[in-house]
Amino acid sequence: MSMGDSQVRALSGKAVGMSAVITALAVVALSSLPAHAQKGQNSGSTHGAVNSNLDLSGVWILSGSALLPSDPSYRPEALKLYNERKSGGGKDDPEKFCLPDGVVRVTSLPYKIVQTPKLVLLLSEGNTHSYRRIFLDGRPHNLDVEPTRWNGDSIGHWEDNSLVVDTIGFNDKSWLDSTGKPHSEALHVIERFRRPDPGHLNVEYTLEDPQAFTKPYSFTRKFTLVTDRDLREYFCAGDRFVGK
Amino acid sequence: MRLGSASLIGFVGIALLLVATCDPAKARAQEKKARTVPYPGAVRPTKAPPPGPPGPVPRMPDGHPDLSGVWNGQRELPGDSEPDMLPWAAALTKQRTENYSAEDPEARCVPGGVPRATPYHTQLVQTPKLVVILFEGNIHTFRQIFLERTEHLKITEPLWYGDSIGRWDGDTLVVDSIGFNDKFWFDMAGHPHTTQLHVIERYNRRDYGNLDVEVTIVDPGAYSKPWVQHRLATLETDFDLTEYVCNENNLDPGHLVGDTGGK
Repeated sequence: MSMGDSQVRALSGKAVGMSAVITALAVVALSSLPAHAQKGQNSGSTHGAVNSNLDLSGVWILSGSALLPSDPSYRPEALKLYNERKSGGGKDDPEKFCLPDGVVRVTSLPYKIVQTPKLVLLLSEGNTHSYRRIFLDGRPHNLDVEPTRWNGDSIGHWEDNSLVVDTIGFNDKSWLDSTGKPHSEALHVIERFRRPDPGHLNVEYTLEDPQAFTKPYSFTRKFTLVTDRDLREYFCAGDRFVGK
Repeated sequence: MRLGSASLIGFVGIALLLVATCDPAKARAQEKKARTVPYPGAVRPTKAPPPGPPGPVPRMPDGHPDLSGVWNGQRELPGDSEPDMLPWAAALTKQRTENYSAEDPEARCVPGGVPRATPYHTQLVQTPKLVVILFEGNIHTFRQIFLERTEHLKITEPLWYGDSIGRWDGDTLVVDSIGFNDKFWFDMAGHPHTTQLHVIERYNRRDYGNLDVEVTIVDPGAYSKPWVQHRLATLETDFDLTEYVCNENNLDPGHLVGDTGGK
């Protein structure tokens, strides 16, 4: 990760740059490794005291398309819904109502990962400018209070230099991408976050949804480290708000 | 799930007015009774909230207090002085308050800004260089406090949450924020501000379960002297943030009809 120059220019919608913050992230990255990683739980680690593969911290932006690379193998009911949404021209797209994208759908605006030993945050600049929490403290899934959510319930653990995140407890309202690909409340998402080198983050997705899919669906996304700025303010409702 | 906080005020204000019957005398009596309902935001606390659980202050590996945890909002403590407002700000606050906060931006799912406290929970997540505040509501968003930066960014476009930098003064995290837009209200009463707003927050986790927050509002465009508030956040040990989505079935705007004069 480049430590960059320390000149900070601006933080706003149209402005550039916050490389000092990225520098901060780099420092955080080097100083906040998961404790269990330092203890050698990750047996594949031969990188000495600092193993950047185990720190996902940084500002990341999607490389390539935000669309799923193909259609999941849909059951008839789900396929019917998908076709209805496609013919609707996106008029019912939750994103247009400033509703959350959920876990699978991504935007082309940056994300920021904040990592602590027991909790990983995924902060999103775009969509609802909200957050996802991935619990690494060993807790099991808990759907007691909220059986279904836009973002589900995410727990994670480290496995061979990857953060493996298991998420269930979804509502069926989110679209898997902007074309309207549906899913049911039975959706189960497994994400494997891996940082093959300091500047890149790969996320392998496996989606299981026995109510909507005839078989699991897998694909990979690649993200690139953003080194010249932090997240900017973006508020979906705020942009539409006309008030005093 | 959307549970309207501002709705409560709307219901109190409107319901009492709507119960008026066909009897004009009774209607007038009901209206008079409705007028005795305090305007939202006009009520100050008379006692401190119940304290959080005792115990030692958790600390980071670097020795600083670790403010991480799920906190039960920030609740006002009794005894703070009312702000010294410039005439325009006082007039605007009066108008907003007496109109039952009908135009509160918070009810339209826009950010609450700084230092508005909400009845919802917040989670603080701390690393050596960053504190992230996760808001349960009003909108389910986040605010970042940068601990390693000592100077503010050059703000070219005003922000809802401004630019926040933090430093440790002993065991107190002092957060300095500027760069705000003038769109948000400080509270349900509708206290306004200008883009000159400068907020200083002092976070002191005095023990395991109690986080004292002293807020100083400096805005020469709206207030003739700094406005100091004292708040307490208490730790939640058996409650987690829920996924609060303001834009999902938000009924508040329809309920916030303002002062209808009993009609």
